[in-house]
Amino acid sequence: MGPLRRLCYLLLLIGTLLPGPWYSTAWATPSEEDSIAPGRALAQQAISARAAWSTSDHSKHPALQQTFTSGAQITAACLSCHSEAEEQFKKTIHWKWIGYTDEKNKRLGKAGDSLNNFCISTNNMQDKSCNACHPGWQGKDAGVNCLSCHGSKKINWSEAFEDYNAFAASDDPEETDLALEIQTDILDAVQAIGLPTRGNCGECHFKGGGGDGVKHGDLDTSLIKPGKALDVHMGGDGQNFNCTRCHTTVRHHVAGRIYSKPAFEQRTSLLQDDLTPKITCESCHGDKPHAPGEKVNDHTDKVACQSCHIPTFARELPTKMSWDWSQAGRLKEGQKYKEEGPLGRETYLSIKGVMHWEKNVQPEYAWFNGVLKTLTVKDRIDPSSVVAVSAPVGDPQDPNARIFPFKVHRGKQPYDKVHKTLLAPLLSGPQGYWTTLDWNEALTQGMQAMDVPFSGEFDFAATSYVLPTTHMVAPKENALACTQCHVRNGSRLVGIPGVFMPGRDRNPLVDTFGWIAVLGALAGVFLHGAGRIFSNGRKHE
Amino acid sequence: MLKKIIIGCMALIFGLTMLGTALALEKGNQRKGKYSYRKVYKSCMARGASETDRPILNPDAKTRAQWTRIFEKANYADFGCEEEWAALSQEEVSDIYGYLWEYAADSPTPAKCK
Repeated sequence: MGPLRRLCYLLLLIGTLLPGPWYSTAWATPSEEDSIAPGRALAQQAISARAAWSTSDHSKHPALQQTFTSGAQITAACLSCHSEAEEQFKKTIHWKWIGYTDEKNKRLGKAGDSLNNFCISTNNMQDKSCNACHPGWQGKDAGVNCLSCHGSKKINWSEAFEDYNAFAASDDPEETDLALEIQTDILDAVQAIGLPTRGNCGECHFKGGGGDGVKHGDLDTSLIKPGKALDVHMGGDGQNFNCTRCHTTVRHHVAGRIYSKPAFEQRTSLLQDDLTPKITCESCHGDKPHAPGEKVNDHTDKVACQSCHIPTFARELPTKMSWDWSQAGRLKEGQKYKEEGPLGRETYLSIKGVMHWEKNVQPEYAWFNGVLKTLTVKDRIDPSSVVAVSAPVGDPQDPNARIFPFKVHRGKQPYDKVHKTLLAPLLSGPQGYWTTLDWNEALTQGMQAMDVPFSGEFDFAATSYVLPTTHMVAPKENALACTQCHVRNGSRLVGIPGVFMPGRDRNPLVDTFGWIAVLGALAGVFLHGAGRIFSNGRKHE
Repeated sequence: MLKKIIIGCMALIFGLTMLGTALALEKGNQRKGKYSYRKVYKSCMARGASETDRPILNPDAKTRAQWTRIFEKANYADFGCEEEWAALSQEEVSDIYGYLWEYAADSPTPAKCK
């Protein structure tokens, strides 16, 4: 054996003892990182025509150049051109606040029997404070306010019309001037028409549950003008998407989950159907979005894209993580009071109880096939354990299920001790809890509005409510590393059943065979190498 | 005689003070007050003394009694924008007081300046 050959054997021996490239935590070499993954290339093609354009300048339409004294006049002006819009819109959940009625005659929706563990219920829309988010001029009682979604200028319509009509009828010249100013503001807002912006949708969806970031952990006002670091799709320095870029719309029906019904039933990409709703990641990125040969492509049948690409939610503004209604009602010196916590949010209110807020929150993970099991005011509960007001449906055997990230909001809320149902107190108004601090009165009024019996005996049950985390997608460099899940201790997916995860899980039999194989291979290499070295050495002598 | 003059002067001062207080506390047109209040901050922002055109204090920031105490003392320091407050007429101040009192924290309809 020549010196070169001997050196080769020696290098081979050393090589077996050193970590090879397959042990590296990096997925790709720098040259691979520089190239665009197929999923990104596909998505970039889908959005190549970026600039929005319109064939209409609404400020030039004669119908929008009149003096408006009521919302109904504005709606009539819109419908004078968009003749089918109202009929279409009134069929949607955005108008009805009822998604559907299930086989047990339960009405799923805010205006129906559904509950949550935030402000609990709209009491069949009898709680008028909820109407602020209904896209009608006065709740469902008047016409559609098209500008809720299509108005680019924010204005308090009810105040503007009330004040305009009061000032316009006055003889006081100062008040007449004010009337003219208000009418100018009204006209400016009426003529500023466009496709829905993040601000339009966010006016309700960023403030769900009664305030900024209360309900959703991945939707708050930080998304009105986000940076790419907060959301690669919506970031102004990213793709600058509006909500409707993904929540595509047909006849005013906006794509998205409706209570128990999933947001989509088929994972179709634009390659398969160029008119598919773009509600899923796969729609634009495909189901093998990473570079060919990358191991992460093998995850897409079990792990949702969101699980790795949304490492935390509420990254800029805090979100409410718990709400204990049982602590409401305390007074200081006979008065209602509130306290603020370190994150600048209220942690106690006499009218609402104790709340806990967090920022930059790591999601909790569960199998999810897009269906949420949601409770209604008519469902019986077991208050001896935590009541899941909403819970993800899915298991490892379900081909539509993926491991998905959630915000889990925990709370304590009233339930009927006799009927074993959750209760829906009336909150606002003269007889509401926020005015009276009287649970009996509020629960009686609220349940009457729901037309569901209340025994008069109540207590508070621990509850949980899940919200799928799907916005605030981080730049790829901030996506999770393998070791945040594939690790024995502290894995993000601890407790996720039905899947064997190398690093997290161990099987003694597999481990034993594995070690025997590794040690056997090492011993073989050593023995073989040593044999060749020594035998060749003797031959050489 | 001097005693009578002193007592007379004190009575006059007391009377004027009470009259002034009564005028200052008069709640004006709350609807106009809302727009006067907003104009203060629009002007304030226009001259660069405020970053926002929204009022610093919402009506529901204080109770009715607290608003009354502030306007009794005519101490508007908490409102910021001193120049604009100094330029308001007595009628405008009364209107603003009427607006803030009407929608105070302990009123039937507490309000924010949306």
